[in-house]
Amino acid sequence: MADFYGQLSLRAEARDGRTVLAAQAFRAPFHVSKPYWDADTGTLLVQVVNPTAGILSGDKLESDIAVGAGAALLVTTPSASRVFKMREGSAECLQRFSVERGGWMEVMPEPLVPHRGCRYRQVTRIEMEPGGGLFFADMLMPGRVAHDEAWLWDSLCLEVDVRLGGELILRERFHPSGEELKAMAALMGSGPGACFGNAVLIAEEPGDGWREAVHALQGDGLWIGASRLRKGGWSLKFVATDGVRLRQGLKETRRLLSARFPHLACDARKL
Amino acid sequence: MNSGPATNTDAGWIVSLLQAGDSFYPTGSYAHSFGLEGLVQAGAVHDRATLREFLFLSALPALRHVELPLAAHAYRALGEPDWVRMEELCVLSSAVKTASEARQASHNIGRQRAELAASLHGHPLAVAYLEQAAAGGWPFSASVSAALEGRMLGAPLAAVMAGVYYAAIGGQLAAAMKILRIGQNGCQALLTEALAQALAIIAAAEQVSFDEIGWFNPWLDIAAARHETADGRLFIS
Repeated sequence: MADFYGQLSLRAEARDGRTVLAAQAFRAPFHVSKPYWDADTGTLLVQVVNPTAGILSGDKLESDIAVGAGAALLVTTPSASRVFKMREGSAECLQRFSVERGGWMEVMPEPLVPHRGCRYRQVTRIEMEPGGGLFFADMLMPGRVAHDEAWLWDSLCLEVDVRLGGELILRERFHPSGEELKAMAALMGSGPGACFGNAVLIAEEPGDGWREAVHALQGDGLWIGASRLRKGGWSLKFVATDGVRLRQGLKETRRLLSARFPHLACDARKL
Repeated sequence: MNSGPATNTDAGWIVSLLQAGDSFYPTGSYAHSFGLEGLVQAGAVHDRATLREFLFLSALPALRHVELPLAAHAYRALGEPDWVRMEELCVLSSAVKTASEARQASHNIGRQRAELAASLHGHPLAVAYLEQAAAGGWPFSASVSAALEGRMLGAPLAAVMAGVYYAAIGGQLAAAMKILRIGQNGCQALLTEALAQALAIIAAAEQVSFDEIGWFNPWLDIAAARHETADGRLFIS
């Protein structure tokens, strides 16, 4: 399979009391929807679209999305990212997000679905200026559960680095084999279709009571926990018995946090 | 390793490393379950069989991908002290622990170990490390401080990593005896089984590059996060 280089670059800036895309450049397989200005939450909603079937062997996807001071951007995708079986080779995605002081970015793509025999590495670099805000949420499905295909990737590595003012405040490297994760899901009682959510909130103090409210969402097949990062924010982790429960948990968490961070009330499915 | 007789020099670092690894050594690690109590409270770990699964599915991989590589890189960085690298390792050790209690446990134990190294031995390397850490506001790390002890005592890297391995598994099993219905013999059987993996895991961990350091168990992180606000608990973490 020939290598296929996809690139995306976006920059959101504040102009006349709104957020606009001040710069954008992309090439296949990336495409960007027409942005939607959500006046209720003061957030610009952008969908990043991959019009191909999904991620294939040889794909090298690079994206760089920046938010300037005073701007607020929600980046999402319209559908799950499927990583297809690879007879040879692998695929990589390098995504960089940066937020300047006074800016806000939410990144909430639809879930990643690794198919049987895929080899995929996703590297996420987040660079925050002090005073910038961010909610980043990634979801991982165990595979094509409806086809009884789960935990069958050849290799999967998801990395997230978050820097605040240049200092590393979070490094996550998730690279279990399917067998390991399947065994762990069985041990923990999350079932054969366990799904995972990993969220990071970088912001001023959310205030009192929110963590207790988020923790109270646990139950009926959802595990959820929030803990303070070494500086500047919070890590929120989710495990659910299925994708529906995971989405419910994430949706409720956004709703709870939106009381303090109104941009999180923007409906990602508005487009 | 060699099969020759131990020399007096060997015996010197061995007894000092035994001292540093003994439960009698006041690092404060006895106060931590390193996330296990949270998983017990969640009902995931509840007997010997599930404790064994936890050790092999979570504790050993965490050693393999995080704590042992951190110790190995710190040991190398302390050879001709590379303080820039040491700061990176201390920050990385903190940043890879998303659960606050796990991070704080490593910080507290690491600080205590480094301060003991300086106060008990007065070794210039330990003193210099504490000065650098204080000046830079570095977080402490149990694994990095174990490497410091090893360098200071003249112990080889393999011995330092073995000490980190033993302390991690031994600490979790000691905590398990207090929160599960499992006795000393049961824990010793699990410890023996886990120690049988030590050489292979240490060898693999030595090859992990700086950029590859990192691993987490989402259930453990969730349980640790909820443990922070639990109504009752025996351990700090």
